[in-house]
Amino acid sequence: MEGSTPTKDLSELQSTMRAIEYACSSIQTSIVIPAMLVMHINPGASEAVILSLGQSSQPYETCEFILENSQVATARFQAAAAIREAAIREWAFLSANAKRNLISFCLIYIMKRASSPDFYVQAKVSSVTAQLMKRGWLEFMAGEMVVFFNQVNQAVVGSHGIDMQFAGIKVLESLVSEFSPSTSSAMGLPREFHEQCRRSFEKDYLKEFYRLTQEAASRLTKKIIESDSVVPEAKVCTAALDLMLQILNWDFRSNTSDTKKNVNVFSAGVRQDGDSLKRSECHLVQPGSDWRDVLILSGHVGWLLSFYAALRLKFSCEGYWLDCPIAVSARKLVVQFCSLTGPVFLSDYGKIHEQHLLQLLSGIMGWVDPPDAVSKTIENGKSDSEFLDGCRALLAIASVTTPHDFDSLLKSMRPIGTLTFLSMLMSEVIKVLMTSNTEEETWSWEARDVLLDTWTAILTPINTINVNALLPSEGIKAAANLFSFIVECELRLASATAFNDEGDSDYLHASVSAMDERLSCYALIARASIDVTIPLLTRVFSERVARLNQQSRKGRGIIDLTETLEELYSLLLIIGHVIADEGEGELPLVPNTIQTQFVVDVVEADKHPVILLSSSIIKFAEQCLSPEMRASFFSPRLLESIIWFLARWSRTYLMSSDGIGEKILDSGHHHENSSKKTLLCFFGEHSQGKLVLDIIVRIAFITLTSYPGEKDLQNSWHELATSFSTEKTLILLDTAHQRSLAQTLVRSASGMRNSDMSNQYVRNLMGPIATYIVEISSKSNVRSIAQQPDILLTVSCMLERLRGAASASEPRTQKAIYELGFSVMNPILVLLEVYKHESAVVYLLLKFVVDWVDGQITYLEAQETAAVVDFCMRLLQLYSSHNIGKISLSLSSSLLSEAKTDKYKDLRALLQLLSNLCSKDMIDFSSDSIEAQGTNISQVVYFGLHMVTPLISMELLKYPKLCHDYFSLLSHILEVYPETFAQLNSEAFSHILGTLDFGLHHQDADVVSKCLRALQALASYHYKETSNGNIGLGAHTLGLKDSTGNVQEGLLSRFLRSLLQLLLFEDYSLDIVSVAADALLPLILCEQGLFQILGNELIERQPNPTLKCRLANALHKLASGNQLSSSLDRINYQRFRKNLNSFLVEVRGFLRTM
Amino acid sequence: MSDEEHHFESKADAGASKTFPQQAGTIRKNGYIVIKNRPCKVVEVSTSKTGKHGHAKCHFVGIDIFTGKKLEDIVPSSHNCDVPHVNRTDYQLIDISEDGFVSLLTETGGTKDDLRLPTDENLLSQIKDGFAEGKDLVVSVMSSMGEEQICALKDIGPK
Repeated sequence: MEGSTPTKDLSELQSTMRAIEYACSSIQTSIVIPAMLVMHINPGASEAVILSLGQSSQPYETCEFILENSQVATARFQAAAAIREAAIREWAFLSANAKRNLISFCLIYIMKRASSPDFYVQAKVSSVTAQLMKRGWLEFMAGEMVVFFNQVNQAVVGSHGIDMQFAGIKVLESLVSEFSPSTSSAMGLPREFHEQCRRSFEKDYLKEFYRLTQEAASRLTKKIIESDSVVPEAKVCTAALDLMLQILNWDFRSNTSDTKKNVNVFSAGVRQDGDSLKRSECHLVQPGSDWRDVLILSGHVGWLLSFYAALRLKFSCEGYWLDCPIAVSARKLVVQFCSLTGPVFLSDYGKIHEQHLLQLLSGIMGWVDPPDAVSKTIENGKSDSEFLDGCRALLAIASVTTPHDFDSLLKSMRPIGTLTFLSMLMSEVIKVLMTSNTEEETWSWEARDVLLDTWTAILTPINTINVNALLPSEGIKAAANLFSFIVECELRLASATAFNDEGDSDYLHASVSAMDERLSCYALIARASIDVTIPLLTRVFSERVARLNQQSRKGRGIIDLTETLEELYSLLLIIGHVIADEGEGELPLVPNTIQTQFVVDVVEADKHPVILLSSSIIKFAEQCLSPEMRASFFSPRLLESIIWFLARWSRTYLMSSDGIGEKILDSGHHHENSSKKTLLCFFGEHSQGKLVLDIIVRIAFITLTSYPGEKDLQNSWHELATSFSTEKTLILLDTAHQRSLAQTLVRSASGMRNSDMSNQYVRNLMGPIATYIVEISSKSNVRSIAQQPDILLTVSCMLERLRGAASASEPRTQKAIYELGFSVMNPILVLLEVYKHESAVVYLLLKFVVDWVDGQITYLEAQETAAVVDFCMRLLQLYSSHNIGKISLSLSSSLLSEAKTDKYKDLRALLQLLSNLCSKDMIDFSSDSIEAQGTNISQVVYFGLHMVTPLISMELLKYPKLCHDYFSLLSHILEVYPETFAQLNSEAFSHILGTLDFGLHHQDADVVSKCLRALQALASYHYKETSNGNIGLGAHTLGLKDSTGNVQEGLLSRFLRSLLQLLLFEDYSLDIVSVAADALLPLILCEQGLFQILGNELIERQPNPTLKCRLANALHKLASGNQLSSSLDRINYQRFRKNLNSFLVEVRGFLRTM
Repeated sequence: MSDEEHHFESKADAGASKTFPQQAGTIRKNGYIVIKNRPCKVVEVSTSKTGKHGHAKCHFVGIDIFTGKKLEDIVPSSHNCDVPHVNRTDYQLIDISEDGFVSLLTETGGTKDDLRLPTDENLLSQIKDGFAEGKDLVVSVMSSMGEEQICALKDIGPK
């Protein structure tokens, strides 16, 4: 210890110990039996006692005393935690000796108490040890570390008995997890520190630890296998296996040059990493080539497999069973070895890797083969874990090999290939899944998911390369068999569950994405043998349709069609996934296998299997156009799947016949693409395309009109568009649909031949709607009729449509949409007045304006801009005059909170409006400058902010989204137009400053950094202006005397103070330090004098002379170290960031001490 | 509607229909609906289906706009519901009389004296305190299906 802390006497130590023990036990009792709460000490006080130990200065002696002498385990635990907290905080000024003593105390403590039953105290102390060692990692000499490690290694090897061996392994485990970035604990240090530690640890120690553990484990196995009952060695061995697993999970990066290219030796370059997201589920183990001796050449895998095999024989013995810890750990390690790949294997064309996998596979086969027998024993009560681990191992192997290699692995020991086996295995699993048919997650459920992942890993490249090149012919056959079995089972499942609907809609929603994933995987399997599967699907589909027609003819209402309907439903989902991809915002292409696997004759295009299948579905869908058919069997759910299918299908086959599609066609190889060309031509513009589009549009129209209220659900555009603009039937649609329908219809204008036509089309489409709004608002009795429910509904609908149209604005239709908005400007103000109490309508009005301005502002000419800006200002004024000082009175608390939410949404919309206006200064496509008309965006936005900010209460800033929007707008404005900020009146000014102060102490680091950026902008503006002899922020920076005579500090002084306070004494995320540095530098430059005073205050407050001196030095270095100058350029900012970082590391530790 | 309130009804917008039919599927959150003959604000709408291939039903949770009580209803989405006509009018507050009535200034310059103060202590004090401080207050009066109540308060006085 340092000389400054005198040794405490025994009685003092004991009394502290007793206080801590008392606090610990009182907390525990109050948790366990709250009724018997110890009356004279409340949990809060106990907590404070315990916390004070860690926060006090140099509590090590006390803590060590408690650890060694206390009988209360929790007190020992807290003492260990206190050592960690204090040491990490005070590390910078502990002497080297003191640091070493702490670590060695902990190590000795662990070893001495290796047999202690309170394992959690042991675990805590070993994690503290690991953290302290890491904290000192870069400063200790290598020799010093060796001393510590020798202690541990000795224990691990087993020279001090079983208990110490166990303790040693646990210490290594803590070390590995502490040094691995994902599991490390925070130390208040920059990320680079952790990274450096990780690198050095991986380079110098990791392999050695692995070797030690492995040796220890293999020495222990003999004893375990020889004895008939459970021995203490088993526990140690389990720990060793877990540690090996943990080390193999390490994110190896030693040989970045090798792994960067990600050359997978065994599957040289077949896989691209971007191919599949799913593969991330299987963690690949890729250590460097230097691990070869330990992992491969040592015969380690053979040992592991034979050890597990020996364990299996003992499962009948007492103390061992399939799920006993040691068996579980051993299996996990085996699976981990399956995913071993990369430079650890020689580049000998994969021979060693193949050998390695063969060895593993032969061990694993016993777990899953023969599938039917194994599944039967599981159904009879055997544990499923071994079977599942077997499936996971197969997944791991599939992820590191090519399909060909994967398939041939098994051939050396069985007559069948691995793919065939996989298909058998999966069929068995699905069979079990069907028979059990429960909603719970069973083993077969999980096994199916793992096996599906395996297929995905194997088949994903199918989308880019030819099937025949990817798979051996047996594999294709296996996939075909599997798919037909899957279809059979899914249909059976569908008809079996057709009547299940006991309120499982929540459950269904949760499983939709899971189901989508499953279907995509089925589609991959189907595409592996597409020439077989498409005809199969066509046949099955036609059968069901025929049955449906037959049944409905027999007698409507007598026979329940539900089963067949449900079968068709799931069949449509499967087919949709097989023949088309989702696209996800991209242009989906015809799936690769469909392009390449069919030999087509262009003349007989209508005999193409895919065309046959598609046509039969479209024909079936067309039947819903007849009202009679619709009533008899097109249930909403069935139609839902039809619409889904048509949408997905048409994106690939119908809509891609545009220019882009053609171009891609032309660039491709001709012979390969003939199938695709046939498909696209067949449904192209000049063939069936028009007809099909017409059918689809009519179906869509029917769906929209005849299934009212069915939320889950484009003759021609003309019909739909006309009825949209004139008829009333569509008013019954849900609002969100109103909007998207308008959006879709307006978007379709981009398909017109030229921009005049597009604009005319939009005018025709939206004209009547705008007219309605104009008329209603100009009626003399608008006030009284507006509140009528029917008028309210129609107005809301029209506004939703306007909003939809506004958000569909494109350069082509911009003109028409501008006119549209322009024509309703005044009516909108009228409606805002009329509906001021109807929050839902107010919100709609605001959102329309927001979307309209967003779409228009960048294109507007100066005059138009002036009009729009003026309109927005009137809108803001009106809104704020309605809402300032308004209080809702209601008995119902939920209605009050609704009112608050409405207000929040309105304000958020207004902030968005202001941001949109701001963007005019950034992006402007107009021909002349807007200043020509005298519009100054910055002033406008300030004016707006001026009006909006009084409405934003601190209460409302608790809504995270509003808070984000507000502070982004604020920091943006302050960064771009600090000069106008100075011109705000003092009330608005102080309100904004108040919110900045609030934001600085916000929990969200993002908000804090936005505030800091705003501060930086203000301070640097003021500094630059004043050094050029201008006034900058002027009077705002000066101290003021307010009416009561109190002196109010100027804004910069105020923020300098609060920022320093924040940085030194409060909790915050380390991520903001560099932004804080950027704000602090200009603040200090502006207020040098105050900074000196604050610094002196800090120094004076420090009682300890050594610390006083350190603080003074640190402050000096912060302000002038690192060649810091008084300019505000990039280099200087960077220097100051570094200064602040080291300043905080240096002093925060002791400043925060109590 | 109970008898004692009955005589107020004729005063409220005579001639205009009190409710309006609207398809259940089109009624949204934040809209209004009549449940058990009470005007309610819809705070929650969910749809459910009867059987996989059946039709949708809407489940409404409404809050009585006058009493604040929670009411629920289930209606097939294609059926009609009653939607109340909810009107709000702003009046300047002239006086609060001792027997619990307020005196309000109408747009035409007349006074309206038939409206009671809220009975809830909390709401009452918000109005009374503001008035006692001498603020210029505008109250919004919500009326629907023959009932009236003060629903919001706004200080329009100079700051």
